[in-house]
Amino acid sequence: MTTAAQDFLRNAAVKSADLIHRKTIRNSIDHYDSAVVRGRARFQNWEAAREKCQAIKRDGIEHLDRYLEEFESKVNARGGQVFWAENGEQARQYIAALAAKHNVRTISKSKSMVAEEIHLTAALEGKGIEVFETDLGEFIVQLRKEPPYHIVTPAMHLTRGQIAELFKEKLGGIETDDPSMLVAAARAALRRAFFSAEMGITGANFLVADQGLAAISTNEGNADLGVTLPRIHLVLAGIEKVIPRMQDLAILWPVLAASGTGQPITCYNTLVGGPRGANETAGPEEFHVVLLDNGRSELLADPEQREVLHCIRCGACLNACPVYRNVGGHTYNTAYPGPIGSVLTPHLRGLNQFQHLSYASSLCGACTEACPVKIDLHHHLLENRRNAVSDADRPLGERIAFKLWGWSMGGASRFAFLGGVGKFLLRALYGLGIEGTAIDPLRPWTKYRAVPKLAAESFRARWSKNHAVE
Amino acid sequence: MQSSENPGREAILARIRAALKVPAKISDSPGHLHAGPEAIFAPISDPLERFQRECGANNTELILTKSATEGIATARAILESLPPGEIFIQDAQSVRDAAQSFQGSRALRWSSEGGPRESSQASITLAESLVAQTGSVLISSACGGRGASVAVPVHIVLASIDQLVPDLDAAFARIAERGTAAKNAYLCLITGSSRTADIEKILVMGAHGPKRLVVILTLS
Amino acid sequence: MPKVALFIPCFVDQLTPQIGVDMTAVLRRVGYEVTFPKDQTCCGQPGFNSGYWDDARPLAERFLRVFRDAETIVCPSGSCTTMVRIFYPQLLAGAAHETEAREIGKRVFEFSEFLVKVAKVTDVGASFPHRVTYHDACHALRELHLKQEPRQLLQAVRGIELVEMPFSEECCGFGGTFSTKFSAISAAMGETKAGNAAQSCAEFITSTDPSCLLQIDGILRHKKSPVSTIHIGSILAQTGDAGGAR
Repeated sequence: MTTAAQDFLRNAAVKSADLIHRKTIRNSIDHYDSAVVRGRARFQNWEAAREKCQAIKRDGIEHLDRYLEEFESKVNARGGQVFWAENGEQARQYIAALAAKHNVRTISKSKSMVAEEIHLTAALEGKGIEVFETDLGEFIVQLRKEPPYHIVTPAMHLTRGQIAELFKEKLGGIETDDPSMLVAAARAALRRAFFSAEMGITGANFLVADQGLAAISTNEGNADLGVTLPRIHLVLAGIEKVIPRMQDLAILWPVLAASGTGQPITCYNTLVGGPRGANETAGPEEFHVVLLDNGRSELLADPEQREVLHCIRCGACLNACPVYRNVGGHTYNTAYPGPIGSVLTPHLRGLNQFQHLSYASSLCGACTEACPVKIDLHHHLLENRRNAVSDADRPLGERIAFKLWGWSMGGASRFAFLGGVGKFLLRALYGLGIEGTAIDPLRPWTKYRAVPKLAAESFRARWSKNHAVE
Repeated sequence: MQSSENPGREAILARIRAALKVPAKISDSPGHLHAGPEAIFAPISDPLERFQRECGANNTELILTKSATEGIATARAILESLPPGEIFIQDAQSVRDAAQSFQGSRALRWSSEGGPRESSQASITLAESLVAQTGSVLISSACGGRGASVAVPVHIVLASIDQLVPDLDAAFARIAERGTAAKNAYLCLITGSSRTADIEKILVMGAHGPKRLVVILTLS
Repeated sequence: MPKVALFIPCFVDQLTPQIGVDMTAVLRRVGYEVTFPKDQTCCGQPGFNSGYWDDARPLAERFLRVFRDAETIVCPSGSCTTMVRIFYPQLLAGAAHETEAREIGKRVFEFSEFLVKVAKVTDVGASFPHRVTYHDACHALRELHLKQEPRQLLQAVRGIELVEMPFSEECCGFGGTFSTKFSAISAAMGETKAGNAAQSCAEFITSTDPSCLLQIDGILRHKKSPVSTIHIGSILAQTGDAGGAR
């Protein structure tokens, strides 16, 4: 087992037993669930909406090269620049060099999971640049020096009391845990960053090919400040964010909002595609888009799982997942937690290191049900497991166990005999009183659950006797 | 960018093209058939009524006025209720006309002079269109420049009824007709005042953007 | 008399055979002749779910052979039925048996699905005067799309008081080997399920899936809860003659 897998198991056990965490997350998700019911009710036909969004993303991905080139040429026509980064290192280097060239001392940053993926903030801070997270949730976890807990609501694991304590310590002058006062404190603290930052970095929810525009959705309006006030605006986005037409946003924006937060639509849906135009008196002098591959083109080459690139990062699967809700976002220790992360991370970061995420699931399918673009998430987890067995390291004991299992089930009398022997041995062992002890072979089960009664007579024995008549 | 400066470009495109040579395996299970109406959204028979309802729900202060004169008077009354300080104002002919009524009583910074400042108390702009489906205001950088709608605590929009479109499809069609995206590097669909629910999912108004969004809609 | 062949999951055969006996009694009561292909062993799901498709494939081929001549197959488990109907086509894709794998899905049914959709009965003459709540097993719900059918059968039971628990569609945490490989998470999910069931004040929790019931029952017994679990087939087998619930 890799260290990552061991850490996961250990942290998962701790978090799963944490009843306060369980309650906090349950409350948060209950809010979300009620909001989503209202959000989906605004659609006369939610299933048709899902299908339409799936079709749009499929069109984008199936013609990815063409749409990326179209996007690039439209951005260039407006005086913007597009950089294609094969991996995180190239992206970081480009951004750092750009910052150095312009003597950037302060960066205002709106939420970007891709930035998390390539550890951008740490790299820039290493060069002496101050990076301010302007999304409130990201701002909070940045102050706590921890990664975001969730891709849409980064601080959902914290109570208002914890946030108040944090602000009291780091910002000063906080005497209340009233959420509006806390928000006002964050707004005041970040005002300086907004107005003094030389560079603004944003992500993008979508990259619109036919117009060369990056689409950025926020409720706070922080992205709009980031694309207006600094001298340089840089968009960092995965290549899979591209969609064919601006018109597609008419369905994607409402669906993203309905699944992300239950809202009819996010408060600010910004479209930006160039530096300050000739007819503008405000706006950046330079506009850059960094398109990141970092393993996405490999996933594209997997015909079974290409559709994983359709993900619009709404977070619905995280909220639906009972495993996520119990172990929490940090236990995954990846940029993308939850079901999408469990499917995606082995592809982006290696199957051997991260196969355990695909195994840490009961395959309940709630994620697939929740996904607004109809990605078959739980079936992809199964495929990752199959790939792990054929292409990665699985424990030798497990390989042998399943060979034995296959053999045991290969014949009816063999199966019946071995079943009887197994029960006999278990009864004998438990008769000696080892149930629940360290040497109990079923300890992972019996630590938390009683052992089922072991039936004396199998069904097939009762059928042989008298066709199972009572 | 020269390809010598960005060799990744050709490498990435080559990988994409090679990957797409193999067709995706699309699940052939019919999925669960869900009977339902063809149209994804119910048709909007009364856009003004829908717009009013949505604004009420998303915290947009919508004021209907019968004439441009009434609209200007309304704007002036709102400004008078705000703390002292500069007003950022879109430099367009109709707005200049409107501003004559309050020019003397407030310091004005015109969008032609630059972007809004930290000290701005409010902004007054026009809009590209209003969208009934979501109670939204579509603005572009032509509406007072970037920042006009978001860097200030109060944003006042002067609009007329002919700018109201029923839904997002219509809004995008209008953008395409008028070439709005071709002429502007920045557009924003604004739906209500700035907000966040990042603290315990409790909704708080007025995050980084305006705490108040006012739409003065002239019906004639 | 119409015939059905029993598909008894391996762990039901060995651990909870009464479920098979009860299902057989109900099928006979509603007028079916019941056969049991003795050569059956396991559908292959445990290996398949763990990624050991090469080890599961021979078992799938074996299953096809054992049930080749059965016109209608009935199984007291949503997850085993799902394995055959939904996953055999993928497991056997490209193999000689692929067509047969697609075809068998049309003649294999989960027990409550069979009664309501094929036998077209909802009242099987059962009597069970207790307060009961239904757990929506994940495969039955999301892969076989069964939501109303088990409830229709339960509602027709004389004397029953059927109540809904909050979050009935949430996974119980079993997930096969997940229950032991990730036992802490599995237990937390099971505890949540037990807590939700308790909120309904039911005496019995029932479901289409014996594997879910093993998990939930294990948690309940560990916590010394007065609530019991019972398979839907065992409820439907109760006619009110001689002796109460088992």
